[in-house]
Amino acid sequence: MMRGIHQNFDQQQAPAFFARGPSPLARLTFFTALSLALMATDSRLQYLADVRENLMTLLHPLQVIANAPSRLYESTDEYFSTHHYLLAENARLKKQALIQDIALQRLEILSLENANLRNLLQAKQSLTETSILAEIIHVGRDSFTKKIIVNRGKNHHVITGAAAVDAKGVIGQVTRTYPSSSEITLITDKSLAIPVQIERNGLRAIAFGHGRDNTLDLPYLPANVDIKRGDRLVTSGIDGVYPAGLAVATVIEMRTTQDSPFAHIICTPTGGIENDRQLLLVSIPEVKQEAATVSIATEKSKPSTATAVTPAAVTAPAATATKPAPGPKPAIAKQPTPTPSANVESRPHAQQ
Amino acid sequence: MRNNKLRSIYLSLFAAFVCILFPWSGIAMALRPDFMLLVILFWLLRAPNQCSVGTAWFMGLWVDLATGGIFGQYALAYTITTFFAVIYQRRLVLFSSTQQLVYVFSLLFLSQLILLILKAFAGHEFLGWSYFLPSVTGVLLWQIAVTFGLNTGRHSHGS
Repeated sequence: MMRGIHQNFDQQQAPAFFARGPSPLARLTFFTALSLALMATDSRLQYLADVRENLMTLLHPLQVIANAPSRLYESTDEYFSTHHYLLAENARLKKQALIQDIALQRLEILSLENANLRNLLQAKQSLTETSILAEIIHVGRDSFTKKIIVNRGKNHHVITGAAAVDAKGVIGQVTRTYPSSSEITLITDKSLAIPVQIERNGLRAIAFGHGRDNTLDLPYLPANVDIKRGDRLVTSGIDGVYPAGLAVATVIEMRTTQDSPFAHIICTPTGGIENDRQLLLVSIPEVKQEAATVSIATEKSKPSTATAVTPAAVTAPAATATKPAPGPKPAIAKQPTPTPSANVESRPHAQQ
Repeated sequence: MRNNKLRSIYLSLFAAFVCILFPWSGIAMALRPDFMLLVILFWLLRAPNQCSVGTAWFMGLWVDLATGGIFGQYALAYTITTFFAVIYQRRLVLFSSTQQLVYVFSLLFLSQLILLILKAFAGHEFLGWSYFLPSVTGVLLWQIAVTFGLNTGRHSHGS
């Protein structure tokens, strides 16, 4: 009724006071159609990936601004922390460094031994993984998906498919990369699965996220499977995404029912998914030789591009796709000209 | 006057967007209200000529971008919600503050419901009734703003 009156006014050359443009219903129809079209395009086609990337670049300064208050609070908190607390922390860190030094020495000896053994067996050489330290800048507002945004992106050589790891275990996987930030899907997200192995007996399985709470599922395992409460799950490393042997989760519930041939197994992640700010993005090079030849080829063909484009990104468009491609894994070689700003460190890692 | 109002609209929308980008965690994340929708609803009641369904749709796109979800989800939810706000805008300014509060709550609830339906289509499960807590906190925030003297257009008829 009211709208009818306004339309009549509009038709009679109404003064600007009553001019309201198209009717609300027309606007609703138009914008609903537009939203539906956008949703269909974004979920089924890949056209919007570049648009999203560009907009995220625009958004990055805003995210930094939004982070400023909490960062300021943290830094002032640190500044006013007591002498006693600092001494205690210093002592704890020294102790930890000592323990890790010893472990590192053993690791060096072991990796040397491993290299020798591989030489003897003429097996494939161990691979060098690249890890990048990143910090969480934004936790997704959407409560249905478990995604976080970190402050390292393509400019820092982060590739899609890299594993996100903290000091206690695997957190997730990089699913989208933007120029100076990247999106990590947590292992508790419904759409993410991670190949695991029971530490106790080496049984392989795949853990699925729930999306609802911070738990993981081990579905499709027979009711008589040898899994107990308290069993630790580690990455099996057979997927070529996660390095082998990283802690993933602990089994908290193992239940069998009469009406199902499968066991009902629930685990909680060991990594500090909800409470840590810093994490490592680890990417495994798939085949070293291939990556090396690719880098030579790209140097020949494009001598002027001393940019942040990784050889893998040049050859494998899968590396920039929104989802990690199941086919050829994104391979990364050591950068020919590593930029000093990127916090890149390499350590030897024996795969398999 | 008009330019002034436009500027304050854009500034407040921008501020709401920054609020969304804050690094929320834990209980605060479960409770945080939909700042963007609250600001949009406020301006719909206050200045329906400058802020309408299109504005809501556009800001919804930015929220979609910030959440990392599929483009168009928040945009659609905001579009439908603001449509209901717009068609009752003339009557709403005559409502008592309690009636207005109930109406704002149902609008916030509606937008969450639309999002829930969209997510259900994408294969996500219902997260429990705590999913609707942001609507409650949103209405509380609205009431706090009104108590502190924010004119939600009840006595001024638009702009």
